[in-house]
Amino acid sequence: MSFSTIISAAVDGLGVELVHVEADISNGLPVFHMVGYLSSEVKEAGERVRTAIRNSGFDYPAKRTVINLSPATLRKRGASFDLPIAAAILASLGEIGPTATEGYLIIGELGLDGRVRKVPGILPIVMEAKAAGICRCIVPGENAAEAALVKNMAVIGAGNLREVVSILRGQCQPEIATEGKEPGGYEEDMPDFADIRGQQNVKRAAEIAVAGGHNLLMIGPPGSGKSMTAKCIAGILPPPDMEESLEITKIYSVLGMLDEKAPLIRKRPFREVHHTATRAAMTGGGMIPRPGEISLAHGGVLFLDELPEFRKSVLEVLREPLEERSIQISRAYGNYRFPADFILVAAMNPCPCGCYPDMRKCTCTPAQIHMYLSRISRPFLDRIDLCVEAPRVKYEYLADERKGESSAVIRKRVCRARLIQKERYKNTKITTNAMLSGKELKNYCRLGEKEHALMEQAFTVMELTARTYHRIIKTARTIADLEGEEQIRESHLKEALGYRIMDEKYWRKQEV
Amino acid sequence: MKYEYWLAGVKGLSTAKKSLLRKHMKTAKAVYYIEETHLNKLEFLNEKDRNKIMQAKKQGDPGPEYEKMIEKDIWFVPWFSEEYPKCLKEIPDHPYALYVKGSLPHENQKKAAVIGARRCTPYGEKYAVDFGRVLAGRGVEIISGMARGVDGMAHRGALIGGGKTYAVLGCGVDVCYPKEHIGLYVDILEHGGGILSEHPPGTAPLPQYFPARNRIISGLSDAVLVIEAGRKSGSLITVDMALDQGRDVYALPGPVNSVMSEGCNRLIRQGAEVLLSPEELAEQWGLTEERGLVRGRHQAGGRRNNKRLKEAGGGSAPYGEKEDKNEKMLETPENLVYSCLGLYPKGVDQVAAETKLDVKAVMELLVTLELEGYIREISKNQYIIARY
Repeated sequence: MSFSTIISAAVDGLGVELVHVEADISNGLPVFHMVGYLSSEVKEAGERVRTAIRNSGFDYPAKRTVINLSPATLRKRGASFDLPIAAAILASLGEIGPTATEGYLIIGELGLDGRVRKVPGILPIVMEAKAAGICRCIVPGENAAEAALVKNMAVIGAGNLREVVSILRGQCQPEIATEGKEPGGYEEDMPDFADIRGQQNVKRAAEIAVAGGHNLLMIGPPGSGKSMTAKCIAGILPPPDMEESLEITKIYSVLGMLDEKAPLIRKRPFREVHHTATRAAMTGGGMIPRPGEISLAHGGVLFLDELPEFRKSVLEVLREPLEERSIQISRAYGNYRFPADFILVAAMNPCPCGCYPDMRKCTCTPAQIHMYLSRISRPFLDRIDLCVEAPRVKYEYLADERKGESSAVIRKRVCRARLIQKERYKNTKITTNAMLSGKELKNYCRLGEKEHALMEQAFTVMELTARTYHRIIKTARTIADLEGEEQIRESHLKEALGYRIMDEKYWRKQEV
Repeated sequence: MKYEYWLAGVKGLSTAKKSLLRKHMKTAKAVYYIEETHLNKLEFLNEKDRNKIMQAKKQGDPGPEYEKMIEKDIWFVPWFSEEYPKCLKEIPDHPYALYVKGSLPHENQKKAAVIGARRCTPYGEKYAVDFGRVLAGRGVEIISGMARGVDGMAHRGALIGGGKTYAVLGCGVDVCYPKEHIGLYVDILEHGGGILSEHPPGTAPLPQYFPARNRIISGLSDAVLVIEAGRKSGSLITVDMALDQGRDVYALPGPVNSVMSEGCNRLIRQGAEVLLSPEELAEQWGLTEERGLVRGRHQAGGRRNNKRLKEAGGGSAPYGEKEDKNEKMLETPENLVYSCLGLYPKGVDQVAAETKLDVKAVMELLVTLELEGYIREISKNQYIIARY
């Protein structure tokens, strides 16, 4: 037997393609030849594999070796083909029986001593393998817990090449890996709303935002605890269900950001992005695109502190994902769509010095304030449902020893509201109130006569636009859900109106 | 006349020197055609002055420019003309000429300058409007600088009061600065007031022009009312000039912790008269009779034009008479919330803490009050009372 083939896989964007690793060993000049549209790190596998095979105690004959990775149209990157290449060579050499590798997916990086090292993207790869009907996987030991998240799959974690060979030879009974330990609950090392004194208004707005999946903008002077509040928001997010968890875990898996021992992500992510972030860092990118911050925040919260300090182009690219809940990245190499369904939480000062509208303290000129605010475009603001003021904390609040509501209590209410929404929108693609659009809004958010009159009044008095009008109704829907009410009432609408995004007048310029 | 216009437009030459030159040469035309050798013999001019004149002469015939000004309905008033305001002629270094759009202040009317900071608080806004409205309603002509903040509000108040108001600009009268005051600019003219400047039409607003125009504001007025001024406010320059010109200075007191009232409070300590209310000031001036108080013109078709307001205040609006809400809605939660608001903005949490209501209820009440036009949201979740 001088030819053999092993099934492995390559990650492409967030998708996976199965790759057949073929090895052929024949008489001829002793060269090691690798083909199949390989990037340089894959080509380097040759050196690692030959050394690892020798150091694992196998003979490597001076023969002509050809390795092919198929399909040849797919660009292969990374070091995850080391182990399948080694296995294919050993099978060609007859070290492993001809049928022993059938039904296996093998993946892993090799060290020169034959040790198997972890690789990114294991979860989506194993999921894809299962979909393709493969029921046994050999993965690096460090990735075993992650791979084992896929049910009905025999996952074997391998520590070194010798172990892999003996498993394939049937010499030892492989240990089937398990999921790993269940990660800790929410209360662990997370800032809690109970620790924030005062700021009732911001807390309430955060609760509504999370309950309905609405985007939130906090405006307040420096030191008013906007960032702290944002961090607490992570603690009131409803726990993701298994499907969502796996989806989030998949993204982190591809970027190699999972915890080895407890790979499954059971908390919704909270991503804080610094304002120096580039467009590619935000949306994902690269020659062969990788997911960016907005995809890392998928299912959770994306927090942008000091919103006006962000480059305008960076904020503008968020417009599409905020609407579509995913991002399309087009490169010469191909098109990728990454999920990006997140709650945007943003914070900013009301003016450069932070004291506006308290003219007793504010030192900014109207032109400066205008310049500062106009860094955020109207279309961007149009995608934010709730806007709230974060006031400077008063001493009385700091001195107040009583604790506020804890995050766990708030989370319970949020979960209940989410459950109501899930029930209401079953059989549709919608999951939260924030996703409602014009037509569905009419179906799910009927207003009574009194409520219509109120909105009509608000429309003229507060100079609402059609867009803000819809956002207010959606917010009111969530407030009603938080109270467990089927019908949107006046009080819900009024509260929603209080959190509306500031109108053109404030945002553009003051007039006499 | 075009030569007079030319002489007035020579930059960097004081009014006194221009007048001497004109007196010496008999006419402005003669000044325009003066020989350089002749110019050099004039002892009251120095090297710099001579250069300025020669430079101005090189700019060519002033005729077309003058014609253009006439076409724009701009009035040219040199100091020796009949129409030039007498009170302005009294002040040292009065402008050589005024360029006027609309009309000039009337000789026999009481005139008050209402001035203050550009970045004023709602408190300053309220009183600028109030003083403008009440005084103008009793026939006082309101003079200010059409700047942002107090100036603009004073003009606006005067217009609401149905009186005449005059804006002295630091740029050409055909230049609206700041741009967003274009509505005000048009309204001042429509209501028989005027836009004045010592700079020829088309002059851009340069920072160095503004302190100088303040002397015209105070010079035109009988009294200067300072509404709000910070410690280093430009309004204090006007006050200094007003004192030099022998004008009365009044200052509106403000809270001692408000930096925007610091200038005013210090003026009072230095002996400025204290403004307590526009009505009192009017009485002090012997103007008891109210004439044609047009209330709420500004708001009649405006934005806070809802039914309830009309019923309650007869269409009068934020700047109308104060309505005693407390009596109307005794002990209701609305009243509770309303009564803890004032002219300095308060946030939702603060209102909640003061009223001991929870934020959810406070938010609803605030929105209710806002919808009914009683309060205004001036920044996100920052509220002040709307009916001054």
